[in-house]
Amino acid sequence: MAKSTIYAGLEIGTSKICVVIGEAKRDGTIKILGVGTAPSRGVRKGEIIDFAKVQTCLNDALVRAEEPSDVMIRTVFLGVSGGHIESMNSRGAWRLPEDQSEITEDDVEEAKEIARNVPISQDNVFLHSVTRQYIVDGQEGVRHPIGREGRILEADYHIIHGLRGRVQNAVKCVREIPLEVEDVVFTAIAAAQVVLNREAKAQGSLMIDIGGGTADYVLYEDGMIAASGCVPLGGDHITQDIAMALQIPHHRAEDVKVNDGSCLFDDIPPDEMLRIEDDNGFVLGEIERAFLNEVIYLRTREILEQVKARCQEHIGRLAAGVYLTGGTSLLKGIDVVAQDVFERKVTRAGSAPVSGVTATFENPQFSAPIGLIRYAQILDQEKPFMSPLKRLGRKMADLLSVIVL
Amino acid sequence: MVEYHRNPQTELTTQSQLKTCIVGIGGAGGSVLDRITMDRTVDATLVSMHTDIRVLSHSMSPVKIQLGVELMRGVGAGGDPELGREAALYSREQIRTAIEGHDIIFICVGLGGGTGSGAAPVVAEIAKSTGALVFLTATMPFSFEGKRRLSQAEDSLKQLQNRTDALILFENNRMGELTLPKDGIQKAFVQADQLIAQSLRAVATIVTTPGLVKLGLDDLTSALSTSNGRCLFGFGEARGQNRGSEALKRALKSPLIDQGRLLHQTKTLLVHIAGGDSLTLLEVDAIMKQLGKNVPDQTHILFGVAVDPKLGESVSVTLISSLGLAQLNTIAAAAPPSEMLPLKERSMPSMLSAVAAKPAPQARHAPVAEPMDMLFGNEELDQPAPQSVEAEQTDIFEEEAFVPEPEPIVVEDEIQVEEEVFEELPQEELEEPVAYLAPEPEPEPEPVKPTVRPRIEDFIPTTSPRSNTNLASVVVRVPVPASAPAPVVAEQAPFAPPLNSAAAKKLAVSAQEEQIAFRFGGDEDRGRFKNTEPALAGGEDLDVPTWMRLKRKLKK
Repeated sequence: MAKSTIYAGLEIGTSKICVVIGEAKRDGTIKILGVGTAPSRGVRKGEIIDFAKVQTCLNDALVRAEEPSDVMIRTVFLGVSGGHIESMNSRGAWRLPEDQSEITEDDVEEAKEIARNVPISQDNVFLHSVTRQYIVDGQEGVRHPIGREGRILEADYHIIHGLRGRVQNAVKCVREIPLEVEDVVFTAIAAAQVVLNREAKAQGSLMIDIGGGTADYVLYEDGMIAASGCVPLGGDHITQDIAMALQIPHHRAEDVKVNDGSCLFDDIPPDEMLRIEDDNGFVLGEIERAFLNEVIYLRTREILEQVKARCQEHIGRLAAGVYLTGGTSLLKGIDVVAQDVFERKVTRAGSAPVSGVTATFENPQFSAPIGLIRYAQILDQEKPFMSPLKRLGRKMADLLSVIVL
Repeated sequence: MVEYHRNPQTELTTQSQLKTCIVGIGGAGGSVLDRITMDRTVDATLVSMHTDIRVLSHSMSPVKIQLGVELMRGVGAGGDPELGREAALYSREQIRTAIEGHDIIFICVGLGGGTGSGAAPVVAEIAKSTGALVFLTATMPFSFEGKRRLSQAEDSLKQLQNRTDALILFENNRMGELTLPKDGIQKAFVQADQLIAQSLRAVATIVTTPGLVKLGLDDLTSALSTSNGRCLFGFGEARGQNRGSEALKRALKSPLIDQGRLLHQTKTLLVHIAGGDSLTLLEVDAIMKQLGKNVPDQTHILFGVAVDPKLGESVSVTLISSLGLAQLNTIAAAAPPSEMLPLKERSMPSMLSAVAAKPAPQARHAPVAEPMDMLFGNEELDQPAPQSVEAEQTDIFEEEAFVPEPEPIVVEDEIQVEEEVFEELPQEELEEPVAYLAPEPEPEPEPVKPTVRPRIEDFIPTTSPRSNTNLASVVVRVPVPASAPAPVVAEQAPFAPPLNSAAAKKLAVSAQEEQIAFRFGGDEDRGRFKNTEPALAGGEDLDVPTWMRLKRKLKK
């Protein structure tokens, strides 16, 4: 089967809406066919607040992606984020029947079922349940338990869930375009698939995707996902802090942040001034560069500390360090601040293993949408043994559980 | 998941035999008692007392005592606490026989009137002398009831303070807010009664029912130990799926807690979760996690869980805490729809009327006061401390009860309370900036620390168009230029009373400053995020610029 599949990843972010069309080949590589972005309106902190505006922007992005790639998109993988997303680890134990000692597929399913059966709030919906590992009679780290001898099989799961209403709103917004949503994916999970390689995951690493409105993080330990979540703070907050401190409009603050902003203020001489211009190029006034940078520093540090606080218990085991991605990771000096906060090696990374429009994949802004395509590919590869019919059935069930519930 | 299968029988030890008694004094106390009688949920002796025979005869409680039969001849005290006190002294023996032999005595009373304010201290005294633990649930009068009633209530409160083990104080003004403005006055009173009855029941349940994680009287008193504090109470019960968070939501909805907003300021919070056999660990965990978002990290949370088969499928959450009157008022005043009078106006009447009125009654009633004190003293000496545990507990209570106590004149007391609030806050807040900046172990960031503080503050005036010396006003002014300064000023202006004395002026100024400082992320501070759900962490709204919050902390 040398067939390749074309997927589209869609991320509705706070600062931009991005559609990436990619070709996932059977050998595991990805070729980017087209990327379309449009500045986003009507999204705050990763959550849609204005449907109409978002849909206009989304149409823009879609057209821009479809044109160069010459592909008509019907279905997308939708990345979602927002402060409502939470995660937990759950373990389900299944004792094999007395007359049986070899673990079969049914036993694994049973253990999975128990592990996944965690009570979450009624308003919430499961986004992902990722297998972390299996434990056979207390032996940890078993990847493929089927065929092993054992008495007790435990399935260890990482479960990510979010508010049903918010997730549904995002899906509904996309469906009105009209586009079909194939799967809803937490953006951090998607981004991690292209930012972190197998080795980084095995050694233990923390990926933080700092976008416009949210900072999504995923922490891997021993090759398995240990924590994930979302801090509803991002580049937008930095911009707001600047806007409020300097009393300038938001879009001017954004310009100042992107062009002149940095998190480092120690080495800047106190009398170095920065000119602030208004839209017409007239000079509004001068500010000290050190002051601007300190405002940025305080917020950046807070974002990173919030992430740290949420995965505190795993921080000690990050041999591969911290990976920063997302648009805000382009901020000057953010790696120094992160180094200071986490006391680990800090890498700024975009997505790695793709080919195609080269300018795109190195940009950390596109980690998440490219990751969505990788995620789709992995999803496909993980079910090789299923007959097409069964696969269809499973897909339907997945869709139902995510969307209809 | 993990479920508790506990047989309640195993826990029925000596504790289960605690006998409780609820005494309602005066009109307000009587109606609270009626409510409890009708609910029939508390296993306690109910005693109602009143001077007015007609009111008393309508009462539904099983034991009724008419106070001062000979003195009053069945007529009410007419709003005079002195008459109420004398009437209670006349019926001393009757009261004693009714409440003797109980381990815990709750006294509920509406302060401000004649019978309630006058008789309550006497009853509390007698209750204390029986060796029981005495809890007082009192309501402070509505502001529309007049200044005289308020000062009467405050006098009475002072006397009660060292005669009870714990005071649960409710501010009627705040409870009045739970009714719509167009609702009848009767409804306001009924609502207040209902809430008090609910809290009494909850407290009685917490203290007496055996629990998995037990909350004792000591926890309760420490939750209520704020000086001159008013009780924040929230109670929620829910059943069905998602009952845990639903119950918590209802508890937080309680107007006394103000959607959880008031919890930001509390230092101690008592949380009690009760449920039937089906209560799961996960539910408890979820409730506490959800609650954690509403409460700052430094808050001391006293936590209790009880499994009571009576509750069946439902789960109940009780939140109890207290807040200083000054804080409560500033927060309430900052909230837009509040119709409450702000602090400055409140303290004025007590100053004027108390100074004028206070010495007179004392002189007149010296003989009355004396037997009371004797009563107290005798019993204290005679009692050989019934149980060691209880003796310990009472010791603690007394220490705490005495803290905010004797101050000869009301005025000073009032001011002092304010100062206390001011002094306490900086201590707490000063630690924070340090903690915020401290976690850099390397020597390199060291120089950062000194530069951070002066810089942020130095820069603000230079970057803002108008120079300003007052930091408090900078905080208010900096946000969104369009809307910031004007509404704040407008909001405060109507409250400003005509002030005469310099002291009162000072008080008003400090109250205003306080109001600004305490405000928790007003919408204007949140900029473009003002219509979104706040991102709360550690009791802070993270949408408010970091530098702004840091500056506020440094200022304190």
